[in-house]
Amino acid sequence: MTDLHFLTIAEASRLIAARKLSPVELTDAYLGRIAALDDQLGSFVTLTAERARGEARAADAEIVAKGPRSRMHGIPYCLKDIYETAGVRTTAQSKLLANNVPVRDSACQKKLAAAGGVLLGKNATWEFAHGGPSWDVLFAPARNPWNPEHTPAGSSSGSAAAVAAGFAPATLGSDTGGSIRGPAAACGVAGLKPTYGLVSRRGVIPNCFSHDHAGPLAWTAEDVAILMQIIAGHDPEDPGSLDVPVPDYVAALSGDVRGLVIGVPWQWLEEEIPLSPATRASFDAALAVFLDLGATVRPVLLPPLQQFDDVKRTIAVVELFTIHGKDLRTRPEMFGSSLRYRIIAGGLVRAEEYLQAARHRTVLARAMQAVMATVDVMMLPTAEPAGKLEPLPPESLFTRPSFTTAFNVGGNPALSICCGFAENGLPFSLQIAGRVLDDATVLRAGDAYEKATAWRDRRPSLVAETIS
Amino acid sequence: MADASPTPEEVALLARHAGLDLPAEYFQQLVSAYGHVRRMIDRLPLERARDDEPAHTFDPRAFMP
Repeated sequence: MTDLHFLTIAEASRLIAARKLSPVELTDAYLGRIAALDDQLGSFVTLTAERARGEARAADAEIVAKGPRSRMHGIPYCLKDIYETAGVRTTAQSKLLANNVPVRDSACQKKLAAAGGVLLGKNATWEFAHGGPSWDVLFAPARNPWNPEHTPAGSSSGSAAAVAAGFAPATLGSDTGGSIRGPAAACGVAGLKPTYGLVSRRGVIPNCFSHDHAGPLAWTAEDVAILMQIIAGHDPEDPGSLDVPVPDYVAALSGDVRGLVIGVPWQWLEEEIPLSPATRASFDAALAVFLDLGATVRPVLLPPLQQFDDVKRTIAVVELFTIHGKDLRTRPEMFGSSLRYRIIAGGLVRAEEYLQAARHRTVLARAMQAVMATVDVMMLPTAEPAGKLEPLPPESLFTRPSFTTAFNVGGNPALSICCGFAENGLPFSLQIAGRVLDDATVLRAGDAYEKATAWRDRRPSLVAETIS
Repeated sequence: MADASPTPEEVALLARHAGLDLPAEYFQQLVSAYGHVRRMIDRLPLERARDDEPAHTFDPRAFMP
């Protein structure tokens, strides 16, 4: 059998349901591994070990008596440290929240607890899920399990690192411009930014209200589907929540992508942000897998990426300033320098300019949905393989183009999965974006690809060698 | 403000209006950051029909008790 810490949610839940694995045994395996190895990665900022053992024992007893409540019953998970957890410190990696102990659970935490999950702790992030990596905030930034000298990207850094390292099979992150998909890409795991409004943001410390998405990360697309089944759904206390039926995401994973029409925005990849030759080769190889599986590929033409980035970043800098304005005016020294640089100018943007950006978002979102209506999914790399972990120039947030932000602007579902490895061992990534509320097709495509390739068999060797 | 490189004096005026009274070190960061924000805003298309709505939604059902 696979090492316990490398079991997927699907595998572990089957073993638990068959009484071949106990939640206590599984939880102890993760806690032991975290204790032994996480000093190399810093993926957790708070561990809830005793609570986890108690939840595991309770799950064990209930499953023996009544059977599992859900596929997550007895399965350990962790949360990016912007998800409020009653009685457990929630810091957003910021000195401003160093002693913040919420009295309520975020909506997602409530759902995972109700499903019988076992909370292992809270994951490192970038400050307020926006500024980083930073060495002048509450905790040091997390590191990439494939090579600790490299970045796990951000801002759901610790979440992605923890899953890749075998510290937890499940976690939740947040994605405002790519903060689930970027770390998922860097760490070679699966991460979904769901359709905007499909997963409640209640109790998730905001980055930018109009673009924030809560969503899952796990080792496989199948596991992401299992998590989506639990966390998706209408929340009347989240004003952005959509009141729509939740489909059976797991049942949608047929493995069949025959006839799937894939759009590729080649002008983004060849003209605006030309791919490195290695990333281009990995992307071409991924498309070839889909062609072999019976899909078709066609080019699609969208507005320039820079328009999507400009709109989102203009809106975001204002919303971020609105959220943090009081602290920026009275105690700016409490912010890390990266976040402070990225948000402080938001106070100087005029209301008209903010609204002009929001008006252009309408134009871009319509263009995105018009193109999406002509294909089933769109595919492109999520990002180039992760670089070294080092301070980024503070202006990079304003100047660095992104393959992910367009889908935040459109609100479309977008999944990042692993599609190979570079010569230096860092993962390549494939991004699969879909029509609004068609998260199931995105997950079906990701799952079919993963099952047709062997990339999910490889784990970070550095961590494994360290154990032995 | 069409200029893509706002002067420190222009930024100081805007900062006062925003209620930001920053130490010199942070003010220099503000000048630099605002230059980047200004360039983003100046790239936004502005020609619109009067009835072009922003991508805001207001659903009164979301606020019912």
